[in-house]
Amino acid sequence: MAAPRKLSMKQRYAALTHDLDWDFSYVDNAEAYPYTTFEGIKIHDWSKWEDPFRLTVDAYMKYQAEKDKRLYAVLDSFAQGQGHLSLADAKYLNAMKLFLQGVTPLEYQAHRNFSFLARHLNGPGPRFAALCQSQDELRHAQTEIHTLSNYNKFYGGFHSWHHQHDRVWYLSVPKSFFDDAVSAGPFEFMIAIGFSFEYLLTNLLFVPFMSGASFNGDLPTMTFGFSAQSDESRHMTFGLEAIKFLLEQDPDNVPIVQEWIDKWFWRGYRLLALVSQMLDYMLPRKVMSWKEAFELYFEQQMLGGLFKDLEYYGIRPPKHVQHAIDEKEILSHQVYWTLYQFSFAAAFNTTTPDSEHLQWLAEQYPDTFDTLYKPLWDKASRMVEGGGRHFARALPQLCQTCQIPMLFTEPGDPTTICQRHSIYEGERFDFCSDGCKWIFDREPEKYVQAWLPVHQIYMGNCGGPTVPDVLAWYGLQPGDNGEYAGSQEALDWAAWHTTSHAPAPTPVAGN
Amino acid sequence: MSQTTSTRPVGVDLQESEDSRAVVEAIEADNPECAVQHFPGLVRITSPQKLRITRESVEERLGREWETHEFQLAIVSYFGHIKEWDDDEIIIAWDH
Amino acid sequence: MAVRAIGEYKFPSSSRQELYGDDQLVHVYWKHNMFICAPSCFRVPKAMPWSAFLSEVVYPVWGQDPDFDPATAQFAWEVDDASISPSGDQSLESLGIGHKSLIVANAA
Repeated sequence: MAAPRKLSMKQRYAALTHDLDWDFSYVDNAEAYPYTTFEGIKIHDWSKWEDPFRLTVDAYMKYQAEKDKRLYAVLDSFAQGQGHLSLADAKYLNAMKLFLQGVTPLEYQAHRNFSFLARHLNGPGPRFAALCQSQDELRHAQTEIHTLSNYNKFYGGFHSWHHQHDRVWYLSVPKSFFDDAVSAGPFEFMIAIGFSFEYLLTNLLFVPFMSGASFNGDLPTMTFGFSAQSDESRHMTFGLEAIKFLLEQDPDNVPIVQEWIDKWFWRGYRLLALVSQMLDYMLPRKVMSWKEAFELYFEQQMLGGLFKDLEYYGIRPPKHVQHAIDEKEILSHQVYWTLYQFSFAAAFNTTTPDSEHLQWLAEQYPDTFDTLYKPLWDKASRMVEGGGRHFARALPQLCQTCQIPMLFTEPGDPTTICQRHSIYEGERFDFCSDGCKWIFDREPEKYVQAWLPVHQIYMGNCGGPTVPDVLAWYGLQPGDNGEYAGSQEALDWAAWHTTSHAPAPTPVAGN
Repeated sequence: MSQTTSTRPVGVDLQESEDSRAVVEAIEADNPECAVQHFPGLVRITSPQKLRITRESVEERLGREWETHEFQLAIVSYFGHIKEWDDDEIIIAWDH
Repeated sequence: MAVRAIGEYKFPSSSRQELYGDDQLVHVYWKHNMFICAPSCFRVPKAMPWSAFLSEVVYPVWGQDPDFDPATAQFAWEVDDASISPSGDQSLESLGIGHKSLIVANAA
């Protein structure tokens, strides 16, 4: 008897995806797949969808298990060896608090919607790829929570991330971004998350976070990040295949896809404003500046590489891309300056950059920092020296689309706040930029529903009329918020590094 | 930015690890024009037009069997398009 | 362009004026003052006199800038891109300030 021949990857993939698919005899296709026509996308042949990874369920399980094993080995040794004490500085963790509060819940949302796609896309290839991605995203949410839960034993700001994601003002930015994507149709979701976020912008989110973790002694985060990123490469491929598939299926799909790229580039770019300040201000040891990261991961790789490829299909770079390029010298400074003033209402701490940090910023941003932003920090430092602290005393005006406070400036004029507005059904709506206004004007019925934290507070929907009422409703505990210098975390950190006593976990309320 | 497919670079970011060291060496051998950069925790390899990862080359350096699927454990990110991924090789290149 | 949806897609604004009763939201921006990072949003009665609006609502907030002195402050005002010359007893409503109007202060 001949030994059974081992199937090649190609054959295995065909056998385990396409060959397991069947046509319905008992129900109409339109009834079985009700969501793949209303967006106006035309698909003629689902079998043309290719998955270059040729991933099958057996290989998927095998390698995911291996990835998890590696991660949990690191988590164990880090916890056993009091690894948190070897971080660059406790204030590094502010970046991770923001990550856990802002990004981890998005992983879970992605899990949910990819599992929806795994049911509702017509082709077996993309259905299986969506199923894998759905499992990946759940794994990411779980591993991030496990990893960062170790810090919850010793540091503030990690205890109520899930609750806070639905309530806190700056977290409405990532939340509303994803709500926008999951409430769209399946094809727009693929372009929004699969392509624009996972392919176009993911490197700007993950790689700096993970290199930052590596550079600042946060081994577990680096490991979960790389573990997640190894899935991310598959997701990037899925996103790229999705866009090529749609563009190749019908020329009528091109203008629809172009508008989605225009919309989701700008939505994603505005969300990454939070990452820009993390790179330039929150990491005690700097990896690269936002400007450098943007030039490398976006301008060179995406504009210089990807969009040349997509030109073939009649796709041009995103509509408002020039504005993003023009902002690279000013973005992070404007965002952190805002977080600094509003951190009394945030589940992380902020502080004035020290002289070494100011020097670094001046070197990275020779054309803007010393002229525009250093004078602001000097004034804030004088207030600190006089026993004060510069905190905002009023709630900010918000952009109706991205929900970020109106902190961005007029293109070409870095000292005037950019103000745009539209009147829809007699009501005025405000925007931070032409990009956000354009997005609103395309679909005003969608964005008039925005749950804007400032407006909700004024309506009395956020715990009560006073700041303490709102902070209690946010689930903030003493020490979570405000100035870092002199905070409980700063005091603990100093004590742990000057005494021979091992730190005992501080009892933390909440979940 | 007026490069054609023949010169536009593609690239891959790999985790810095024992296993990926052999993979990086194999890539360097198979892609004479590639450039290798080191970032914290990361190795980035870029190459004009195309990047090839071959099973044979990696196995030679690892001294054991290596399935191309294993590349998933090392890869952090890439740019370009995955043109081919079969039992013997992985090719990253732009389409157009 | 309308939202492409699987059914009728029509929802009210979540920030519409009627949700605030006799009050409204107004936005105030001190132009070129970068020390205050963003314009502010306030909930105030439509009938509030301009002088009270400044002394009770706006100026206390601008006090976060240590160089601000309400006693000597001089501003030229705009509402929704049009100049106004308010007198202290005029109500916000009578000055043409509506729900989510933008009031801009230009330091003299």
